[in-house]
Amino acid sequence: MKLLLDLIQQMALATVPAVGFGMVFNVPVRVLGYCAAGGALGRGLRYLLIEGAGLPIEWSTLLAAAAVSLIGVAVAQRLRAHPKVFTVAAMIPMIPGVPLFTALIALAQIQRTGLTNELLAAVVKNGLQAGFIVAALAVGLAVPGLLFYRRKPVV
Amino acid sequence: MDSAIAAKPAPLTEPPQREATRLCVETGLTLLQHGAESALVENLTRRLALALGVSRAEVALLANAVVVTTLSEGHCITTVRRNEDRGINMHMVTEVQRAVLAAEAGELDATSYRLRFEAIRPLRYPRWLTSLMIGLSCACFARLIGADAASCGVAMVAAGVAMAVRLQLVRLHFNPMVNFFVTAFVATSVAGQAVIYQYGATPKIAMAACVLLLVPGYPLINSVSDMVKGYINTGLARGMYAVLLSAGACAGILLAMSVWKVWAWL
Repeated sequence: MKLLLDLIQQMALATVPAVGFGMVFNVPVRVLGYCAAGGALGRGLRYLLIEGAGLPIEWSTLLAAAAVSLIGVAVAQRLRAHPKVFTVAAMIPMIPGVPLFTALIALAQIQRTGLTNELLAAVVKNGLQAGFIVAALAVGLAVPGLLFYRRKPVV
Repeated sequence: MDSAIAAKPAPLTEPPQREATRLCVETGLTLLQHGAESALVENLTRRLALALGVSRAEVALLANAVVVTTLSEGHCITTVRRNEDRGINMHMVTEVQRAVLAAEAGELDATSYRLRFEAIRPLRYPRWLTSLMIGLSCACFARLIGADAASCGVAMVAAGVAMAVRLQLVRLHFNPMVNFFVTAFVATSVAGQAVIYQYGATPKIAMAACVLLLVPGYPLINSVSDMVKGYINTGLARGMYAVLLSAGACAGILLAMSVWKVWAWL
């Protein structure tokens, strides 16, 4: 029951950044709803895979991004627009912003205060986490092209 | 089969081939300027060229230029356009793609394609609305990290003000890295006040969440997609650009933390 409530909260909270960043990317008004739906689906699926199935965050992200992208292809063919028009905004709630900035700030701290094991560990751990999650998001989005649309365009 | 061969149009003479090449390079340039990934730019440019009647088309993408060569009746025409970034605009990408699809379906010839292509104007949302939505987005990010209601409010105000500053700086044509530096400084300064005056139980989360509007998500994802699809040079350029933008934001955060003496990252 708690898992279900947390899942609903995660999905509801993910719709707002997906639409907000969709507006920063100037996604057409009528497509913003698909950004929200994709954001909620991606974040919710990732949460279920991490909390329910116990998968690590990178693999969960990859599967969630692939699911959004596969559904996005069907929507895109109806809209006559490339799926990335709305799927990238849908990935924004899963972007590892905090690890990215933590790695860069810890790097700057090393320059100020000298090298310590804690700071070095923070740089490497957060930097790797950010890199792996971004790669999982991008490869996940490319899954339809890599598996099914190998020789023909999606739209 | 015979009718298909008979229906195939005659090869283009030089003036229409020149016009087709120009249309293709301008289409590719517009897509690249507004943040389409390299595979899409190359694919649409080539399809447009074939739809306009040339027998072969080659597209080369550099980090800041597009090269298109078309071949017709054994004659090549090559042209280059310099690319300057216009900011991500998915509305432009959608409309250009629809125009190319219409040309491919045979609904548009070169003249009508040019009319339709040149009539496309980029969509811009009102600045206050974008700032409000980004404020709400960062409040949601704060909640997802585990902030309480007061800290979510702090993140919302800080991010909303910072987004308004960012959009104003874009309008004044500042360098994006300068823009990210100033925006991060403003966001952290606003959220830092909550740490100084002990407002809310989780002010550190508010400070981390309010700069998330500066994560270059689109360039990061495009960078990896480009490299996965074999466009290593544009992928590297986009990835480096994303890292530089993040570094600019990071410098802004550090300066704000030094000025207000709040060393409170997560």
